[in-house]
Amino acid sequence: MVKETNKIDLSVKLGSVLLKNPVMTASGTCGYVDELDDFLDVNELGGYITKSITIQPRMGNDIPRIVETDSGMLNAIGLANIGVDKFMQEKIPLMARYKTPFFVNIAGKELTDYIAVAEKLAQVDGIAGMELNISCPNVKQGGITFGTDPALVKQITSEVKKVIGNKILIVKLTPNVTNISTIAKVAVDCGADALSLINTFTAMVIDIETRKPVLANRTGGLSGPAIKPIAVYLVNKVYNEVAKPAGIPLIGGGGIRTASDAIEFIIAGATAITIGTAGFIYPDCAIKVLAGIKNYCQRHNISSISELTGSLK
Amino acid sequence: MTNHSAKKGIFNASVLQNRALGDKFFRITLELEKKAKTIFSKAIPGQFAEIEVSTLALPSQNTIPPQFTDISKRNVILRRPFSFADIVTSNDSVIVEILYAVVGAATLRMKTLKTGDSVSILGPLGNGFSLPENKKTALLVAGGMGAPPLVHLSGLIKSKCPQTEMVVFVGTKSLSDLAFFDVKPDKFDKTKVKLGEFEKHKIKTHISTDDGSAGTKGFVTEVLKKWILENKPDVNNTIMYACGPDAMLRASAAVSAEFNIPCQVSLERRMACGTGLCQSCAVKCIDKNTREYFYKLCCKDGPVFWADEVVW
Repeated sequence: MVKETNKIDLSVKLGSVLLKNPVMTASGTCGYVDELDDFLDVNELGGYITKSITIQPRMGNDIPRIVETDSGMLNAIGLANIGVDKFMQEKIPLMARYKTPFFVNIAGKELTDYIAVAEKLAQVDGIAGMELNISCPNVKQGGITFGTDPALVKQITSEVKKVIGNKILIVKLTPNVTNISTIAKVAVDCGADALSLINTFTAMVIDIETRKPVLANRTGGLSGPAIKPIAVYLVNKVYNEVAKPAGIPLIGGGGIRTASDAIEFIIAGATAITIGTAGFIYPDCAIKVLAGIKNYCQRHNISSISELTGSLK
Repeated sequence: MTNHSAKKGIFNASVLQNRALGDKFFRITLELEKKAKTIFSKAIPGQFAEIEVSTLALPSQNTIPPQFTDISKRNVILRRPFSFADIVTSNDSVIVEILYAVVGAATLRMKTLKTGDSVSILGPLGNGFSLPENKKTALLVAGGMGAPPLVHLSGLIKSKCPQTEMVVFVGTKSLSDLAFFDVKPDKFDKTKVKLGEFEKHKIKTHISTDDGSAGTKGFVTEVLKKWILENKPDVNNTIMYACGPDAMLRASAAVSAEFNIPCQVSLERRMACGTGLCQSCAVKCIDKNTREYFYKLCCKDGPVFWADEVVW
């Protein structure tokens, strides 16, 4: 046992929102609000990012929607969700049970869809911010097409920023671009309070017996441990080229399973980190990662987690 | 565990036995840590568990059958879902039985588990079968590897609904695929096998195989249909339970619709989590009133569904 002599300050700030620690859930992997309750105490998390919400309910793609790959998985769920109205009626009230800040991930086909969802959610007291999903690779329109075009990123970020009132705006970036920093810079210039990265990599698995893609959507987004080193690199790149100069926090994620994984992201430049795919396998993963981060800070005599952010030598 | 009303959890399980049944099937007996007792005492047939296989060793390369050499190179990260063949909770233990066939990278690893090894198990998950209550007849239709939950269910019906008469229909490709059911061959006619799993409860069993190597040659649903036509059960007093491959479930749903016998089916889908988080195991359903389509999740809303709510 390590002595609890020094109190470690694990709190971090995303814009105006204080998280008591840097561990968050990744959108699309943890449900809306209370789905993890059998496995962990949501109040112990630093923040909770919900699955994507769209203006209308979406059924999602045909099956198969997932396939396992070496040290990862592809998904093409297709933003299946209950729609913003039902979300506000049924899920927002549940958030009052928890002290943890909730961030709602929003997605859409058209710019007007994003604005409409953001306007509705801006009126809700129970949420701390919104995460703009301009990086979903699995829908025919919207999603990633917004996130790969700097002109569209500019338009969508600034338009949404206008309507979200006192909520913070997180923009989630896709790695499926030539230079992620170009997009990051545009989002920051247009008012993003934080950036989250990375979403999944567009990928394909082929059934060689039928010569067809395994997924009904043909392609899907690759996540899991397979993408972690690329995600760490991209977080470090965006930290150096955009986030640090602008003083904007990064939420890093991509293949995090353990505290060591999370600490790599923080050293690379992440202020907070997200647990995604690993939660499918270990639903209590976030709590274990948090415990491991504390332990690391004790071993390294770190009194405040913010000392660690971007400390890469 | 922070939630006292939790319905599921992650538990350590220690392997009591991992026994081969024939050349490709295994029966694994796991004892769960004691804190699983409260949750597992409420588990019902048709529910399932997600077992962590990523930490398990592969068999030595020279014992891997040629059809699995490519797949054995693959890393496994996701858990794998298995339905229970039995759950026994007593004052000081929770013991579960799972039947599995070696079909890929995960089950190839599972077969190396030995007595005393430990695995992580997430469960019990999903919604199981409803008991027949006061119904006179329960028809259990098992296809291929769909056997385990029906074995579990038959035991529970026997003890909880003694007035219900069960008739079991089992169909597989071939005699060797009946190994799941503790097959007992007849000394004189090898096609006349008996299935220990149902025999022990004295349940009347009809066997069929695609190749005729045991029982009637043909599909299990054909045998079922013939039985219904001949025995004319009171449809208001009868319930069907089916578990097996999709095509067989579709055929069972058709029999259920034709004779107006309510039927529960246990479906299988690719799933990453088993807990409703990943949304990958969608099952297309129809609203009987509005005729609108919508998706349910196999892991959370199922795996047991009413046959007439599923779009086949």
